[in-house]
Amino acid sequence: MSGELTTERTPHTVVAPIIEAHDIVKRFGGVAAVDGVSIAVPPGEVHGLVGENGAGKSTLMRVLAGILTPDNGSVLVDGEQLEAGSARSALEAGISLVHQELSLVPEMTVAENINLGFTPTRAGFTNRREQRRIAAEALDEINVSVDLDEPIARLSVALRQFVEIARAVARKPRILILDEPTATLTPAETDYLLDMLQRLAERGLAIIYISHRIPEIFRICDRVTVLRDGKHVETVDIAEIRPNELVSKMVGRDLEQDLQSHREPTAPGEVVLSASGIRAHGVNGIDLTVRAGEIVGLGGLVGAGRTELVRAMIGADVRSAGDVTVAVDGSVRRINSYQSAVASGVAYIPEERRTDGLALTMSVSDNIALPNRRRLSRNGVLLFGRIAEFAKRLAHDVGLRPPEIRRAAGDFSGGNQQKVVLAKWLGREPDLIILDEPTRGVDVGAKVEIHRLVKQLAENGAAVLVVSSDLPELLELSDVIHVVRDGRIVGTLSGIDADEQSVMSLASGEASGSAA
Amino acid sequence: MTQTATLDLGNGESDLIGRIKTTFARRTEGRAVVLLIIVSIWALIWESTVFTAYEVTLGRLALIGLTAVGLTAVILMGELDLSIASILAVSGVVMASFDNVFLGIAVSLTIGLVIGAVNAFFVVVVGINSFIATLGMLFFLRGMAFVISDEEPVVMANKDFALDFGKPLIGEFTPRVLIFVLAFIAMHVFLTRVRVGREFYAVGGNREAARDAGIPVRRRVFTGFMISGFVAAAAGIIVTLQLTAADPTAGGNALLTSFAAAIVGGILLNGGRGSVLGTLLGAASLAILQVGMTFNGVESDVQNIIIGLVLFFAVITDPNSIRAVLGSARTFFRGRSAPDPAD
Amino acid sequence: MTVESTVEVGETPEPADPEVGVEQQDFNALEWVSQQGVFVFTALLLIFAGIFIDGFASVDNITDVFNRAAPIGIVAVGMTFVVISANYLDLSVVAQVATSAVLLIAVSNSYNMLLGMALGLLVAIVYGIVNGVAVGVFRANAVIVTLSTTFVGLGLLRWASGGSIYFGDPDGVIATFGSTEIGPFPLAMLVLILVTLAMHFVLTNTTFGFLVKSFGSNRHATRLAGVNTPLVVIGAFTVCAFGAMLGGWVLAAFSNTAVSSMSAGFDFEALAAIIVGGTSVFGGKGSVLRTLLGVVFVSALTNIMVLSGYGFGYQQMAIGALIVLAVSVDALARKVGRS
Repeated sequence: MSGELTTERTPHTVVAPIIEAHDIVKRFGGVAAVDGVSIAVPPGEVHGLVGENGAGKSTLMRVLAGILTPDNGSVLVDGEQLEAGSARSALEAGISLVHQELSLVPEMTVAENINLGFTPTRAGFTNRREQRRIAAEALDEINVSVDLDEPIARLSVALRQFVEIARAVARKPRILILDEPTATLTPAETDYLLDMLQRLAERGLAIIYISHRIPEIFRICDRVTVLRDGKHVETVDIAEIRPNELVSKMVGRDLEQDLQSHREPTAPGEVVLSASGIRAHGVNGIDLTVRAGEIVGLGGLVGAGRTELVRAMIGADVRSAGDVTVAVDGSVRRINSYQSAVASGVAYIPEERRTDGLALTMSVSDNIALPNRRRLSRNGVLLFGRIAEFAKRLAHDVGLRPPEIRRAAGDFSGGNQQKVVLAKWLGREPDLIILDEPTRGVDVGAKVEIHRLVKQLAENGAAVLVVSSDLPELLELSDVIHVVRDGRIVGTLSGIDADEQSVMSLASGEASGSAA
Repeated sequence: MTQTATLDLGNGESDLIGRIKTTFARRTEGRAVVLLIIVSIWALIWESTVFTAYEVTLGRLALIGLTAVGLTAVILMGELDLSIASILAVSGVVMASFDNVFLGIAVSLTIGLVIGAVNAFFVVVVGINSFIATLGMLFFLRGMAFVISDEEPVVMANKDFALDFGKPLIGEFTPRVLIFVLAFIAMHVFLTRVRVGREFYAVGGNREAARDAGIPVRRRVFTGFMISGFVAAAAGIIVTLQLTAADPTAGGNALLTSFAAAIVGGILLNGGRGSVLGTLLGAASLAILQVGMTFNGVESDVQNIIIGLVLFFAVITDPNSIRAVLGSARTFFRGRSAPDPAD
Repeated sequence: MTVESTVEVGETPEPADPEVGVEQQDFNALEWVSQQGVFVFTALLLIFAGIFIDGFASVDNITDVFNRAAPIGIVAVGMTFVVISANYLDLSVVAQVATSAVLLIAVSNSYNMLLGMALGLLVAIVYGIVNGVAVGVFRANAVIVTLSTTFVGLGLLRWASGGSIYFGDPDGVIATFGSTEIGPFPLAMLVLILVTLAMHFVLTNTTFGFLVKSFGSNRHATRLAGVNTPLVVIGAFTVCAFGAMLGGWVLAAFSNTAVSSMSAGFDFEALAAIIVGGTSVFGGKGSVLRTLLGVVFVSALTNIMVLSGYGFGYQQMAIGALIVLAVSVDALARKVGRS
């Protein structure tokens, strides 16, 4: 029965915290990713940290671990203040962080990776026996058995994650921080991990656990802190809150804030994109259709498989099974390779604009011209007049400010850069446009403009597919929302009826009450 | 709280066959073994003097292997050292310019270390790509060798020492071979047993992870280039002793064969993968090939063609490259989509 | 990998101020020197040489410089494409130039000149495809690949030619071409200028040139824009091979002879010219016109050294140091620009 998950732990009596952070502020280029957050965790407690993407969880943890230097605030361990921004001093104080991106050396063995940076030596020579002992002990601690001599490259992703955890545990930390450790694990592996963490906590380790997955939080955490937009919302005992209430606090917004208008429901046209049985790395059988004039949203947690799905559909990544067709002007074309997808009128705006979306050292004009080069040239010779006109028009259409199309794309702010990416694909007048996190790292003003553009695209008859972790954005734009979890679509909501809660519940598995 | 039973996390087979399979799959020396077998069979049939006159073959192996072993240290970290050819030339010329052989050797080796440090400086401090930095040094040092030697081979003063150097020292083995064996063993131990050497793999395999783990990446890069420079200088000394004169144009062949040996031996150019054992096997293959061709009367031009082809095919059959090609081929033939593997 | 990424990928949010759409960039002196410095340095060098070096400013000497500069310049201009595509350089130009020269003279002597040229063209295409496929499809390192093709190519040439020197017909077209001068300018200079202009046109005015720049700037984004990127790489190496072919012809014409060793040093002189000219070895941008200026600089420098009595060794040292220095300035400029 979902909704009434009780913990088996008794509420903690007040114990002196082993790690505290006071009023941490961390800014990136003027925007506060963490804005005055305080947190305190006593030994033996599993403390959950939740919040949407961009709420500041990872940033806060990296400050605690000394990887980032805060602009304000302090971190104390056992009452002693740590040197700000020093990973070494954090490590020495007993803080161990298990990163989201695994930092293992692929060709070195398990034992070596576990000891990386702290390899025991005897007169400069690696003390292999000690190295293995430490590694074996750490693995034993987390109850995982792996061949100590196996190179990391040959391990499954799940095993790598466990080795990464063993690495953190081998330092005999007093505080263990895990950032989304179950993102790549199966339900069984997740269970395993959670059991292991509980045992470690019983032995006095303080654990800070970041996750989007509400059932996990409720399973092992004693208390949970909610962050939103870099600010601390609340810290509660798990026993005193219900899962759906927690979700509300994560997404809760002042209703006075700009009520984005949902889209006018329009009668969608013909099917443009039809994908069936898509299987790929991280995608476990998905069917999807997008019609002309329709905006389909893909919701879900990071790592659910949305980007993988999209890239597999258009041929940017390998697809192990499934068919994709695009209907263009009445003729249906199968999409097998990326180039054929582009040629068939598909436009893909990738998640990472700086590495995949733009050539930062080239001018805006050149970037816009790149996918449109055929109509901007004749017999292989570029028509500069036409290019300038084309770029200027598109830059204007997307609202690039300032409209200096001859400047290098890298000079512009994130929002403007994203507009340039949009502009270049708009020039192709695509029939299907796929946007992956279209307003990540984009300022508010540009965000509104980009939303307007996307809606306009649909109004003009394009089929639009949007992947977004930004719930309000997803709700504002989509006619239909498919929620993806673990490489499958777990729910479909109509744009009008959906709300942040329902999407989040489906995405985090809270609705089904399962642990993963 | 009871815990769930130990999970099967995809650990792989633990029976004997399985263990043998995984052991082989982990190794990188495959291509070197294949080449060695092919070349040995060819030599046995067509030019068995390669094996009967093994002192020559061993001598060649020692020289190719020496520079290749030094290169291995650098490539493992994800860098390249193209300047070894010129370090070889400069060190030979410098040594030959001294009347006192031992002083000459000491100065030469020191110069090798210094050049290595300079290379590392440009790579880690200035931030130039090692390909270009060492390429520039290659040209620069080549010129320097010419200048020091006045564009002519420099004849050694102490010819006797040079001649003695060519005579067997321990058992049948000449000093050159012994030096190589020492260098090989030292490098093998260094890369497998010494912590600093193991960290070379981390620097090449995942530099960010290495940095985060507290490994002093810059210092390691300096060490690697200095090893390469030192070893190249030693090679130059050996070549000069062999000829009793230092040739300022020496080294071109060494560049080609060392890279061929290391790459065939399984060193990944991106770093982090490979072993000196592979380099040894690669050097052995090339030594047999070169000596075999020489005994067979094959002209040096044709030899260059063959070795050049070996290097060419070695570098395009790199595991990364194979993956890239398969990806592109998949798109081309089956129409299936392909990732960009070097991403 | 050692290639420094110029892009920081991460979740750091961008400046939120909607007013400031463009980040203001302070003047980066190092960047200016790296890219535009060649104009100033070349001018200064020529002035210095004219005043202080005896014999530099004579007509004969100028002609001599031009004759030496022309073939290297043609090669450098073609190789610029490879450098812009972020593939460092093509070492095999040494083999290509000599092969093309020998083919021209030897085949002209035995058959006719056009056949020699046709064969040269064929060889250029082969080099372009072999190098291009290895680097573009197999993703192998360009320096190692072209090192190997250099040895194979030179080996083939020396084996086929036996190292012999070929002498062209003293009354033939080639000889006439090689000895024609317009004032102090040999005809070869005209070829150099024409080739430079043609290459410049290709680089700046054609889709292909645009794609080479785009690929060098960001290969992922270029591929995701629907471009067949292996073809771009093959194209760049083929253009380079084409330049080497023409350079070989001009070189042969100058002395009306051809021998396999005549192209020694072309690889590093061309690279030096390209880098001094301001094309970044990191790829993405560059100019063939500035490469030409870089050629003038390098040729003048070598000439000054010769006139001052500094032999081949010193010249090599100078050029090697020049390469390292020029790339250092570029690298430091990027570091400054990023901070």
